[in-house]
Amino acid sequence: MEGLFFNVNSGYIEGIVRGYRNSLLTGQHYSNLTQCETIDDVKLQLAPAYGDFLASLPPNPSTSALAGKMTDKLVAEFRYLLAQATGSTAKFFQYLTYGYMIDNIALLITGTLHERDTRELLERCHPLGWFETLPVLCVATNIEELYNSVLVETPLAGYFKSSLSHQDLDELNIEIVRNTLYKNYLEDFHQFVTTHPDFRGTPTQEVMSEILQFEADRRAINITLNSFGTELSKQERKKLYPEFGKLYPEGSLMLSRADDIESVALAVSISADYKAFFDAVGLTQGGGGLGGMGGSDGKSLEDLFYQKEMELSKVVFTRQFTPAVVYAWMRLKEQEIRNVTWIAECIAQNQKERIGNFISVF
Amino acid sequence: MSGAVGREAVFPTRQSLGLMKGKLKGAETGHSLLKRKSEALTKRFREITRRIDEAKQKMGRVMQIAAFSLAEVSYAVGGDIGYQIQESAKQARFRVRAKQENVSGVLLPHFESYTEDGINDFGLTGLGKGGMQVQRCRETYARAVETLVELASLQTAFVILDEVIKVVNRRVNAIEHVIIPRTENTIKYINSELDELDREEFYRLKKVSGKKQRDNAAADAEILAARQKEAARLQESADAEKKEEEAPEAPDVLGEQEDADVIF
Repeated sequence: MEGLFFNVNSGYIEGIVRGYRNSLLTGQHYSNLTQCETIDDVKLQLAPAYGDFLASLPPNPSTSALAGKMTDKLVAEFRYLLAQATGSTAKFFQYLTYGYMIDNIALLITGTLHERDTRELLERCHPLGWFETLPVLCVATNIEELYNSVLVETPLAGYFKSSLSHQDLDELNIEIVRNTLYKNYLEDFHQFVTTHPDFRGTPTQEVMSEILQFEADRRAINITLNSFGTELSKQERKKLYPEFGKLYPEGSLMLSRADDIESVALAVSISADYKAFFDAVGLTQGGGGLGGMGGSDGKSLEDLFYQKEMELSKVVFTRQFTPAVVYAWMRLKEQEIRNVTWIAECIAQNQKERIGNFISVF
Repeated sequence: MSGAVGREAVFPTRQSLGLMKGKLKGAETGHSLLKRKSEALTKRFREITRRIDEAKQKMGRVMQIAAFSLAEVSYAVGGDIGYQIQESAKQARFRVRAKQENVSGVLLPHFESYTEDGINDFGLTGLGKGGMQVQRCRETYARAVETLVELASLQTAFVILDEVIKVVNRRVNAIEHVIIPRTENTIKYINSELDELDREEFYRLKKVSGKKQRDNAAADAEILAARQKEAARLQESADAEKKEEEAPEAPDVLGEQEDADVIF
């Protein structure tokens, strides 16, 4: 039933995205890339997929310049899709950009706190997280002004209002602010895809809630692991866990009480997937600890999470009549940029032995 | 060799000979001391050169690992976190203490690195993702900076030692090839001059004594002649006295005999 009128509004977008998906690099491409001797060779190999975007690069570009150009292509394609979208699909696309907006705002708040020239900060902002009132943030010279008059105008105002006061912006570590915002964003996004009349009961709800739940769990686990040995208290940590996902509520509660890696492993053992990850990197053995993050086959927990995310994203393409393919495509594309950067970095630094450490799902 | 260095402008006296001998002795002591210093420094210098070589090779490896761990961070975080890290770092965690080390009287600066474990300004960076890589990267870079500090310390010591060794060697050579020969020359010169003077003096004395002898002989002859003359004269006068003995004795006017005419 949901497929009946989908194509009226969003069929074109879906078609385009599936086209984009076909231009993603495959295992064959990656194995060609790993054979390269110089960055120029990499550039040459990427030419069919990236074409004009890499043409302006100088010979032997830096890896960051290469990644920048690849991101430009992603941004250009996404903007095109955004321009085509209407109605609830457009709203969905907006949600996709909020994650980048959070990063941009965190950047600007950091800059304002240290009284930097905010204009140069704007150049560093992620283009996908750009919104019309973003330059206005530069007007604010202190945090209170920023909070009262500027942040309320941004699409993220809702995330600020519910959990942060302007004192918090001044006092809390910017990472905590960022993660609080991200938590609110994830919850809101989840709420959106599960309750919006256009998406409720559609494949969108199914696949998106699975992906978002995974994302929420991943953040919760990462925050817990990364907070060991820092001044982040357990109460504060608990506030950063998104309140949905496979681990919520029992797992989250256990995570919030965790003191070491074993208790994290215990907390995530409710979900077979995560338990398998922890087993794979040997974190349950205790002795391995953080030093064992390299794992036996060179995979870290983060790598396994990325792998899982990519697999989820790949599966999304088996569904039709859903804007979730856009989300999946963006994630895959970002991973592809990371992969290429990694390969280029390995080539540039002559560290070929770990060049295979990328994630390719096609 | 020694002919080229000349000698010092001194008067060839015994006093300056004493001075010169003292100077030569001082120069020889100084030479052996400086030689030993230079050897000690050179030994140290060689050791530092070897350690610099090791440190440089180590630096190459460590920097490579560090740069690679940064690549890992950008892979895990999926973006640029440089700005955020720069902004959140407020206090230095990795610090350097400068000390001085005394090697044969040369003060070599020695840098010692230590970490303030309490300072963890960007401990929360990458909380959502990549935090572990960020921490690991920080550790690798801390190690890299440690190597750099060590290398800096060695390089400074290298430069200073190089300078000092040059100065010391110059001094050693100056003493060996200039001061000692010159002093020796001076001593030789003073000695020869003094000998010359001695010979002159001896000759002069001989001359003088010869003259004196001649004079003495003349005087002796004179005295002898005078004595003989005297003796002859005495003989004559003795003969004359004998003749005058008969003549009456003149009365003593002021003598013991009371004069009746004098009242008091």
